[in-house]
Amino acid sequence: MPMRRLTSLFLLAATLALTVPAVAQVRAPDGAPNPTASSVNEEMLFKQDPKIHGRISIPNATAANLIQPQGREWREFRESWMPWIGALAVLGMIVALGLFYFTRGRIRLEHSEESGKKILRFNSFERFSHWMTATCFIVLSLSGLNYIFGKRLLMPLIGPEAFATLAQYGKYAHIYLAWPFMLGVLFMLVLWIKDNIPGKIDWIWLKQGGGLLGDAHPSAGRFNAGQKMVFWMVVGFGFAMGATGIMMIFPFAATDINGMQIMQVIHSLIGVVFIAGILAHIYIGSLGMEGAYDAMGSGEVDLAWAKVHHDLWVKEQQAKTASGPQLGRGQVPAE
Amino acid sequence: MARMKFLCDADRCIECNACVTACKNEHEVPWGINRRRVITLNDGKPGERSVSMACMHCTDAPCAAVCPVNCFYTTADAVVLHSKDLCIGCGYCFYACPFGAPQYPRVGNFGSRGKMDKCTYCSGGPEVDLSVAEYEKYGSNRLAEGKLPLCAEMCSTKSLLAGDGEMIAQIYKERVIKRGYGSGAWGWKTAYRETIAI
Amino acid sequence: MKAFLIAVVAAVVLATGASFLLAENQRFAYQAFATSGARVSDPGTNLVGPRWTGDIKEPGKAGHKAEAGS
Repeated sequence: MPMRRLTSLFLLAATLALTVPAVAQVRAPDGAPNPTASSVNEEMLFKQDPKIHGRISIPNATAANLIQPQGREWREFRESWMPWIGALAVLGMIVALGLFYFTRGRIRLEHSEESGKKILRFNSFERFSHWMTATCFIVLSLSGLNYIFGKRLLMPLIGPEAFATLAQYGKYAHIYLAWPFMLGVLFMLVLWIKDNIPGKIDWIWLKQGGGLLGDAHPSAGRFNAGQKMVFWMVVGFGFAMGATGIMMIFPFAATDINGMQIMQVIHSLIGVVFIAGILAHIYIGSLGMEGAYDAMGSGEVDLAWAKVHHDLWVKEQQAKTASGPQLGRGQVPAE
Repeated sequence: MARMKFLCDADRCIECNACVTACKNEHEVPWGINRRRVITLNDGKPGERSVSMACMHCTDAPCAAVCPVNCFYTTADAVVLHSKDLCIGCGYCFYACPFGAPQYPRVGNFGSRGKMDKCTYCSGGPEVDLSVAEYEKYGSNRLAEGKLPLCAEMCSTKSLLAGDGEMIAQIYKERVIKRGYGSGAWGWKTAYRETIAI
Repeated sequence: MKAFLIAVVAAVVLATGASFLLAENQRFAYQAFATSGARVSDPGTNLVGPRWTGDIKEPGKAGHKAEAGS
């Protein structure tokens, strides 16, 4: 019995000897216990997670983040990179189109015996969908660019008060016109997807420079490879802009702050590329090619133009109607 | 001029939320908007700490940099303020802020989201000091009256310190040396790119 | 031209519709981030005014404090 007690005492002493120095280390100079030894600290928490998150008593769960420094990277992107990327994309495209115009010039209508006859290219609903999307796009792109360039270009010109009022209306327009824009993209997707499936013919069209870079007129169906690219750009970018935009319109519905930062980056990057792409589309549909605008203007194009640019489509249309597709000015189909 | 800062001594904060209440009452802040809030880290575990957080009035403030209408400005006391007349409620300052300080009267980011509201360091806005218009938009202007922010003034444990950065850092340093420990100045590295070296 | 004009009108109508629909789903901060536990008056009568714009109908009520301090 005493032997056993002695052993346990010895063990206790050994344990104490081992633990006491460790306890002493977490004591303050005056010997008081140091509560910080086991407490959380900023450095340690940042090593565990890129943001410091805790518990909060107010019913706003998003307020429970104490520090989330990721906004710095987002700021770096928005203030240091985005103005340059945006300017490069938009001005770069304008310069490229200018150069193209002065070297290649306007692509003229080639007259033939069929000049003057008209063929219906886009019916009224197709034109409606196009123009609804287009008008929304113009307002959206201007109000969108205002978020980046407004304070740099417009604000010094008109003063902060007038600019803030303009930006406020721009914000309303941006958020509300987004909905008809998304609807328009959806309409165009349904209307034109069947004519926009890429095929072998598009490869040939691209290899021949699409008639843009040479005098060749590679054959094309209803839409040539260039137009198909515009179509898929509008659909793809349109959906991407819609999805990222909705996530910013409804904060915290799907993502947290970091998610919204990424959404804003995607939204703005795609936005400026989208604007550049549509500038090229506007150019070739109006100034760049004689006769092209009629397709979306009146809906009817010159048969001679159609035969040159969309030969396979004209053949198809002529095969469909036994009387031929030629319609006089007075015989416009129901609109 | 002083370089105004906040410092929350987390080893003293007892999560009483008096700073939050004081702020709400002083400025008649609407429900649901919290210019200041208390966050508890490691809640219920050993080493739990609470930190009172509001706008830190950052050096080179990210909110001011990203604002698309440049509605932010920094006062001579290095307090970051904004103009509710210019604010368009876009939410960019909220994306950029490391401390979640900007608040909006409405949740959805559509047209009528309202003007951003945040801690003013009890120093109002761009309106004339102590005017009615200033009070209605930003709350009271204690700094113009020669007083410090109420949250820190009435902190029961003097955990939350407000005032000139060097002065409050000195107070904190003395405390840490005396008691032998301190978990640091929360958020200082992010807001001012400096910590208190002891 | 007709299709274009109809498209512009439709865009404006749809945008207006969207604004009303979105406004229906808009929530105030006092609904989302506050409990009803300690309310003693109607929300929105303090600081930012009933319309949350900063325009308060009775400036005297909110302003007395500021005047007293000046």
